[in-house]
Amino acid sequence: MKYQARLPEHNSNISHEHPLKEFALLLAGLAIIMAALYWVLGLAVDYVVPMISPEKEQHWFKTMRIDKGASHWISQDNTISPYDSPIFESLRSCANIEVPLTLWQVDSDQPNAVALPGGDILLFSGLFDHAPSENGLAFILAHELAHFKHRDHLRSIGRGIVLMTVTGFISGDSAALASLLTPAGLATQAQYSQTLESAADALALEILNCHYGHVGGATEFFENMLKEQDSSAIAGIEQLNHYFSSHPETQARIDNIEQLRQQLGFDKGP
Amino acid sequence: MFDIAVFLSLISLGYFVGRYLEKRHYHSINTREQALIKVITTNTKRPLGTLGKVNKVELVTGNAVISVDYFKRVAAGLRKLFGGNLTTYETLVDRARREAILRLKESCQGATQIINLRIETSSISQGKSNQIGSVEVLAYATAIYADAPQAGKQATAE
Repeated sequence: MKYQARLPEHNSNISHEHPLKEFALLLAGLAIIMAALYWVLGLAVDYVVPMISPEKEQHWFKTMRIDKGASHWISQDNTISPYDSPIFESLRSCANIEVPLTLWQVDSDQPNAVALPGGDILLFSGLFDHAPSENGLAFILAHELAHFKHRDHLRSIGRGIVLMTVTGFISGDSAALASLLTPAGLATQAQYSQTLESAADALALEILNCHYGHVGGATEFFENMLKEQDSSAIAGIEQLNHYFSSHPETQARIDNIEQLRQQLGFDKGP
Repeated sequence: MFDIAVFLSLISLGYFVGRYLEKRHYHSINTREQALIKVITTNTKRPLGTLGKVNKVELVTGNAVISVDYFKRVAAGLRKLFGGNLTTYETLVDRARREAILRLKESCQGATQIINLRIETSSISQGKSNQIGSVEVLAYATAIYADAPQAGKQATAE
């Protein structure tokens, strides 16, 4: 037998399929599984949340509540102090919320407001610059009350846990996979949150109408925000960011509120 | 938003640069293998055929460490969920093995025969998660430097 020096013509040790083909196939499979899991578990959250009474919620989140005895306290460099609003109690009864809620002011440039589980509502002081009138602020308060009424904070927490669990289970210890799945999950979460925002806007209009008999000033905050956005040069980024944002785009939101107002037949106010 | 941008640039960097480097490496491997093909290389304990006067016998080694790119790592992460051929890592091992043998051959130019060739593989990021998968291949063998056999016999198997 003679030694023959010859190289194989074909390398059969490696796959000759295009790597992107396999990647796309696996990714699509994973996306379907994840979407199905998220959908089913998300529905389970929506099913369970209405069964939790506000009293039970306040009991569960008792330890997370902001200490009422303290005149103010500091969290992440922000001073939090109780906020006294003469219209808040009336808005609360318009929203048919029976449990007591507490209003807090957070010193921060951010124009934002949050309803926390347990019954604390935070107003970031940046809001007051954008909603100078009582009616403007009333809409924001009504919007947060609507979130509380709809139990949206519980839904967000529930869906957040679902998303983290699904992502965690699937990606396991692979950080790369987690970084692939998390943005997709957050985008889904944001889309869901945007529908909650629209529903909260609708109830907020009803609350406003109940209190004032008209819904004047409802869009004041958003119109001021829009003016500020127009003057900033990053409008394009804002557009793109919208898909990952938990709130609808500002102009769309103003249009939506106006449309809801017409549907509900509320007076535009002075 | 920022996370996605970072991720997308990493994965496309991995894909395009990784693919280009792999292509270039394979081109280099093929050319060098063709150039070194004349040296008889076997995994047998004894040399093939008859040798002339043996001048020198030495242990030779060749070592290569190759890493996968970011794209392949993500693709492998997906594959781990479903199981099956981990095709994105096949070229990693193939390249490392052939590169190690080539380096071994290049380290003993002028050898008549290379016998007793052995290959060992080890994972650089062994057991640690969240690390780029890289592989080390060590090839070692015995190189024989000998004169041509007197009777004009060619090297044949025993």
